[in-house]
Amino acid sequence: MHTTNTRDGGTVDVRLAGPSRRLVAALVLFGAVFVFSGQIAHAQEFPEPSGFVNDYADVIDASTEQEMTALSEAVQEATGAEIAVAVVDSVAPYADVEEYSIRLASEWGVGDREDESGILFVLAMQERQVRIEVGYGLEGAVPDGRAGEILDSAVVPALRDDNYGEGLLAGMQQVAGLIAEEYDVDLSEQGAQAPSSRTSGNGSSSGGGRVLYFLFLMFFLGGGRLFLPLLFLTGGRGFFGGGFGAGGGGAGGFGGFGGGGFGGGGASRGF
Amino acid sequence: MAQRRSYKGLIAVGVIVLLVVIMVSWYVSARNSLVEMEEQVSASWSEVENQLKRRSDLIPNLVDTVKGFAAQEEEIFTSIADARARLAGAETVEETAEGTRELNSALSRLLVVVENYPELRSNENFLRLQDELAGTENRIAVARRRYNERVRQFNTRIRMLPTSLVASQLGFEAKTYFEVDDEDLEVPEVDFDS
Repeated sequence: MHTTNTRDGGTVDVRLAGPSRRLVAALVLFGAVFVFSGQIAHAQEFPEPSGFVNDYADVIDASTEQEMTALSEAVQEATGAEIAVAVVDSVAPYADVEEYSIRLASEWGVGDREDESGILFVLAMQERQVRIEVGYGLEGAVPDGRAGEILDSAVVPALRDDNYGEGLLAGMQQVAGLIAEEYDVDLSEQGAQAPSSRTSGNGSSSGGGRVLYFLFLMFFLGGGRLFLPLLFLTGGRGFFGGGFGAGGGGAGGFGGFGGGGFGGGGASRGF
Repeated sequence: MAQRRSYKGLIAVGVIVLLVVIMVSWYVSARNSLVEMEEQVSASWSEVENQLKRRSDLIPNLVDTVKGFAAQEEEIFTSIADARARLAGAETVEETAEGTRELNSALSRLLVVVENYPELRSNENFLRLQDELAGTENRIAVARRRYNERVRQFNTRIRMLPTSLVASQLGFEAKTYFEVDDEDLEVPEVDFDS
């Protein structure tokens, strides 16, 4: 009796274990397919921006770079529009500066999210090409024809003389003028402050900025990894999305761009 | 024994209910995500059409400007007008691609001819129009790339397990890529100085 019972129980257990094991396996497989099916790898090909001016090829001298940054900050403060600069050695693996530029601009999300007011200057040293990428919201203020004109008159001549920083700065000033017109603001007030704060160069605020920037970096490096799986589950980033932080600039460290969108407006030139 | 049996039955019912719930929720989410992806495909197609339209609208201005300097190039103006009309009447992705290809080739012939008219090349209005045209072509390229990327994602999804099991049953069909030969898009560079 005792033994039969055990044997009986044994057979029942075996019979249960067969189908249930298969069931579990099927469920796991099912779940795995379910989870992985939606994933398309988003390779991070572009460096994170470290500020408005990103001179990866190291061709702009420090004081010009500060002037450019001050101008961008002034424009952002007055209008919310963002003017960014990227100087790269090469646009590889992309075919031309146009393709590189639109991808970088969308990835960074240059410009205010609502207004989509972003401008990106891309200078490719190896290809000797320069481009002004214009965000959706500024296509009226900076039409392609104007962008080409600015490149012809202000940027390309300086680039030909190897004055890269000066050329880009001159282009930025003209674009800033057009943006100021569009938003009906006067940049000269902020413009007047910018150089004075530059010459005073107080170490404490820039040190504070650096600490904030470092914290920001830590947060996003850590947070990004934590949130990545969640992003995948919700379908990943928007296609045009770009832009990570709410940013807003504010005092101190660079908080990322606002999340503006781009459609390929602007103009390019060789030099 | 009897108690074991009913216990076993309960487990079996529970597992089946669980499976059904999982299947139904998967079905709903698969269907919803397909609908969403299909919407994104058509939204990005509208953007392609917008930009093609924008270029079409630019062309009369450009042609008028060129006519002022090179009125005798009648044949090219006609082929541009024909291509424009064909593009305007295009209904499907294929027809649009065909019309675009034609317009591209007519336009690049125009831009080659322009090289023979130095006055035109330095005309401010023409330079501005040329920039607008180049900008619009770049916008078309961007819109086309985004559309094709959406199509690729959609087509991959409806062919991939497990979604493929329900996609055709729900009436989702693979979308057509918008292909325009890239060589036609390039404006040929002709150097008449040498």
